[in-house]
Amino acid sequence: MATTSKRVPALFRPAPRLVRHLLLIAAGLLMLYPLLWMVSSSFKPEELIFREPGLMPTSVTAGNYTEGWGALKHSFGYYLWNSAVLTALAVIGNLAACSLAAYAFARLEFPLKKMWFAIMLGSIMLPHHVTVVPQYIVFAKIDWINTIWPIVAPKFLATDAFFIFLMVQFIRTLPRELDEAAAIDGAGQWRTFTRVIMPLCVPALATTAIFTFIWTWNDFFTQNLYLTNSDNLTVPVALRQFMDSSGESSWGPLFAMSIISLGPIFGFFLAGQKYLIRGMATTGLK
Amino acid sequence: MKRILAATALTLLAVSATACGSDDSGDSGGKTKVVFSYWGSDARQKLTESAISVFEKKNPTIDIEGDFSDWDSYYEKLATKIAAGDAPDVMSIEIRGLAEYAGRATLADLTGTLNTADLDQEVLKAGQVDGKQYAVPTGVNTFPMIVNRATVEKAGEKVPDDTTWTWDDYIAISQKVTEKGDGKLWGTEWNVNPAFLQLFAAQRGEQFYKDGRIGLSEQTIKDWWALLQKIVSTKAGPDAAQMLETGTKVDQALLATNVSAFGSWWSNQLTALNKGSGQELDLLRMPKAEGATTAGMFLQPAMYYTISSKTGQAEAARKFVEFLVNDPEAGAILLSDRGLPTNAKVVDAIKDKLTPTDQKVLAFIDSIKSELSPIVIPPKGAMEMEDILKRASDSVLFGKASADDAVKAFLNEANAAIGK
Amino acid sequence: MTLSPAPAGTAEIPVAPREKADAPRPGPLKSSRGRSQALAAYLFLAPWFIGLFAITLGPMIASLYLSFTDYSLLSDAHWVGLDNYEKMFTQDDRFMASLRVTTTYVVVSVPLQLAFALALALVLDRGLRGLPFYRSIFYLPSLLGGSVAISILWRKIFGTDGIVNSFLGLFGYEGHGWVTSPDTALWTLIILHVWTFGAPMVIFLAGLRQIPRSLYEAAAVDGAGRWRKFRSITLPLLTPIIFFNLVLEVIKSFQSFTQSFIVSGGNGGPVDSTLFYTLYLYIKGFKNYEMGYAAGMAWVLLLIIAALTAVNFLMSRFWVFYGDDK
Repeated sequence: MATTSKRVPALFRPAPRLVRHLLLIAAGLLMLYPLLWMVSSSFKPEELIFREPGLMPTSVTAGNYTEGWGALKHSFGYYLWNSAVLTALAVIGNLAACSLAAYAFARLEFPLKKMWFAIMLGSIMLPHHVTVVPQYIVFAKIDWINTIWPIVAPKFLATDAFFIFLMVQFIRTLPRELDEAAAIDGAGQWRTFTRVIMPLCVPALATTAIFTFIWTWNDFFTQNLYLTNSDNLTVPVALRQFMDSSGESSWGPLFAMSIISLGPIFGFFLAGQKYLIRGMATTGLK
Repeated sequence: MKRILAATALTLLAVSATACGSDDSGDSGGKTKVVFSYWGSDARQKLTESAISVFEKKNPTIDIEGDFSDWDSYYEKLATKIAAGDAPDVMSIEIRGLAEYAGRATLADLTGTLNTADLDQEVLKAGQVDGKQYAVPTGVNTFPMIVNRATVEKAGEKVPDDTTWTWDDYIAISQKVTEKGDGKLWGTEWNVNPAFLQLFAAQRGEQFYKDGRIGLSEQTIKDWWALLQKIVSTKAGPDAAQMLETGTKVDQALLATNVSAFGSWWSNQLTALNKGSGQELDLLRMPKAEGATTAGMFLQPAMYYTISSKTGQAEAARKFVEFLVNDPEAGAILLSDRGLPTNAKVVDAIKDKLTPTDQKVLAFIDSIKSELSPIVIPPKGAMEMEDILKRASDSVLFGKASADDAVKAFLNEANAAIGK
Repeated sequence: MTLSPAPAGTAEIPVAPREKADAPRPGPLKSSRGRSQALAAYLFLAPWFIGLFAITLGPMIASLYLSFTDYSLLSDAHWVGLDNYEKMFTQDDRFMASLRVTTTYVVVSVPLQLAFALALALVLDRGLRGLPFYRSIFYLPSLLGGSVAISILWRKIFGTDGIVNSFLGLFGYEGHGWVTSPDTALWTLIILHVWTFGAPMVIFLAGLRQIPRSLYEAAAVDGAGRWRKFRSITLPLLTPIIFFNLVLEVIKSFQSFTQSFIVSGGNGGPVDSTLFYTLYLYIKGFKNYEMGYAAGMAWVLLLIIAALTAVNFLMSRFWVFYGDDK
C-alpha cells in the first residue's frame, strides 16, 4: 500500500483518483441543484420563471440583473457597500474580542471561572426572540436605532459566545508545554497570547472570520429591525424588498440580486481557505 | 500589541460618541418630522416616496420619513417599536390588526379631527371600533371569482352567468376543464381564506363575527369543507398538498401560470395575476348556494392609515393622512396600489390614469355595490383567525381529523382567541 | 505504540491520555501568581464582561420577569405568576406538538449532518487536486440555507411537480407533494438541515489542520496504516472539535427557526407538522401578542438545552481528549 498521507477510512481506499473526482463532482452537482435552479431562473424572463420551472431556460435574458440592480431606491451596489462595511467591522470585532475571552477561559485561572463559562454558554441558549424587545429598548434609550451600532458594537463586546466556545476548544488542543516554554522565556500573558497561542490558532481565527462574515452578511432579522431608514439598508433587507406577499414579487430580480450577493461571501470563503489550510505544520514554533 | 488594543479602544469610544450624537427624534433641522411606516414591495416604496415628495413640497415645514418593511416582518417590527416607545407617527395596519391595536390604546382616536367627508361613509365605518374612528381606509378590495375566459372556451365550455350560477355549476364546469385539459390543466384553484368562508356564510345569512364570538354555525363550516372536498374529489381542483404549494403567493397562482381556469383572489391582486398569466382575466361574482339570494360579496378596506396615540406630531400626521386619501395628486401617484380609493372626487380625477385592469376592477365594484353584505371588523385576537382556520381546514382536508372533531376544535380555539 | 522523538520544539504528544509531566503549576489563587493570572483574566475578559452586563444579561433577566406577566408588547405587563407555565404544560396542545416536532428534528438531523460533515471533511482535507474548489461547492448550500430564495427552491424541488418526483418517476414511483403534506413536511426540513452541513464541515477541516503532521510521519515510520492513523491520531485529537460541533448543533437545532419559517410560510404547517419550538414562540409573541407566554417558552427551552448541554459536558469526560489535560 502506498504511504500516502491520507487519513481516510478504508471505504475510500480502493477508488482510483479519477473515480473519486467523478463522485465528488456528481455529489457536488446534487448539492448544488437548488443553486443551479436559481441561477437559471435569474436568466429567465420573469413571467416564465414559474410558468416553465425546468432547469433549462427556453429564453435567456440578462434583464433581471439590470432591473434588479436599479430597482430599489439606490443601486444594488450601494447596499452591497453597506453590507461590506457592516460585515468588515463585525469580523474585526469578533476576532478581537472573542479570542481575548477565549484565551482567558482556556488558559487562565480565575475565581468562579466555571460559573462564568456556564453563563457564557447559557447566553447562546436563550432564543433571541425574547431578548430582542428589551435589547431594542436599551438601544432606543441610547439613540442607536437606525445606525449600525446595535449590530456592530456587540461584536466588539464578544456577545457571539459561539466563537468564544469555538476558540476555547481550539486553544485547548494545544499542549500547555507551549505556554510553559514561553513563560520560561520570560513572556507574560499578553506575549504568550499574541506570540504563541494566536499564531497556532490561525485555522480557528479563519473559521471565526469566515463565519462572522457569512452570518452578518446574511443576517436579516437584526438588520431589518435596527436599520429602518431606506438609506441605511443592507443586502438581506434590500433583497426582501423584492418580495411582496400580498401582491407581486419580483422573483427575477430577487434571484439575480441574490446570486450577486452570494459573490462576496463566496469570495471571502475561497480566500479564507488559505488560512484554514495553514496548520501547525507550516507555522511551526520557535 | 498593546498599541493595537489601545487604538481599538479609542476608536470605539470616538465612534460611539459620534453615534450617540446622531439625532433621530423630533426635529430635524427645524422641521417637524413624521415617521410613516408601511409594508409592500419595491414598487410600492417608489410610489410612496413620490407621494411623500409631493406632500413635502406642499408642506415645506414637514419632513416625512418612510419606514418601509416587507410584509412578513411588518407587525413584528411595529410591535417592537411600540413596545420600546418608539412608535411611528403614522402607521399602516390592516383589518386584522385594527381591533388589536385599537383595543390596546396604541391608536389615536381620530373622530372628528380628520376631514373624511368625501370618503365613502360605509367603508369609513370599517375603520371604527366601538363607534370611534381609529383608522382611515386607504381603499377597498373585494373577493371575487376570477376567470380566464380563454381557458374555459378552449375546453369547449361557456362561462356561466355570474348572477345565477351555483356551486354545483362551478364544480361541474371546472371538472370539464380538468378533463379536457389532458393532465396539464385544473378547472379551478381553491383556498381556505377566511374571506371565502365569510362569503359562503353570508349566503346563508350568517356573519363571521357576532357579538364578540364566531357567528358561524357548525353546519356552515362543515358544508364549506364539504364543498372544498368535493372540488378535490371530482378533480375540479388539485388536492390539498398541491394547493399548499402555491401557497398564498399570487405570482405562483395556478391562474397566473395558466394552469387553471378559475380561482378566487383579492381584487387588487388582479394586476399581478394578469402579468403572470399574460392573458386576459375577468372578475365574476361568487357562485351561490341553491336558493340563496345573495352571493355574499363584500368590500374590505385594503389597509388603513392610523396615527399613533403617543405621537408628538399629531397635527402634521393628520395633514399627511388627509393628503393621502383626499388629494387627487396623491391619488394620481398611488393609484390602486393600496386598493381603489374611496374618495369619489379622487376616483374621478384618476379614472383615466388607472390601468385597464384597475378600471375593470372599478367597474366590477360599481356593479356589485347594490348587493353588498356588511363589512365585518374582526375583533381583538382575530389576527390568528387565518392560522386557526387553516389548521382546522388542513386537518380535515389531509384526513387527519373528522369534520365533526375539527369544527368543534376550530370553534373552541377561535372563540378562545377572540375572547381574551 | 510509541513515537520516536519528535522534532525539537514540539511536545511529545502521546495517543492516549497520560499523566501530566511535572511542571510548575499555578498555586492556589491567593498566591501572587494566582492573583496575577486572575487579573490578566479579567483584563482579557473585559470586553466580554461589558457586553454581558450591558447587552446580554439585562435583557435575559427582563425576559425572565416578563415570563411571569401577561405582557402583550402593546400594553403594560401585569404579574400573573406561574399562569403561563401552567398553561403551557397542561392546556397547550400546540406546545406539546412543537416539542415533539423539534425533538424529532434534533435527534434525526444532528447526527446525520455531523456525519456528513465529518466524512466530507476527511475526504476534502488533502490528497486530491482542486480541494479548495470542492470545499466551496459543498459549503455553498450553507450560504443559501437561510435565504428567502430557499423557500421557493425547496417547494419547487420537493413539490408535486418537482425534480424529486420526476426522479422517483423514473422508478415508477408516483410521489406527492412532500413539502406540503403533513406526514413528510418535517422530513424535507431535515433534509434541508443536512444539506447545509458546510458549516460543521469547515470547522472539522480547521480541526484536522491543527493535528501536527509530525505525528502522522512518526506513525508512518512505525508502520501504522491509514485506518490505524485515523483511529489513533485523527479521531482522538479531533474529539474536542467533534464535541464542539455536537454541543453547538444541538443548541442551534433546538432553536431552529428560519428554515421552518420560510418554508412553511410562517405558520408551521401543514397542520403544525413543522411547528418548531421557536417558531411557535415567535407566533405566540409577535403574532398573538402574548409576549409573556413566549418569554416563558424561551426559558423552558433554555432549561432543556442547558440540561442536554450539561449531559454532553459530563459525558465528554469519557471520550474527549484535550491537548492541555492535566
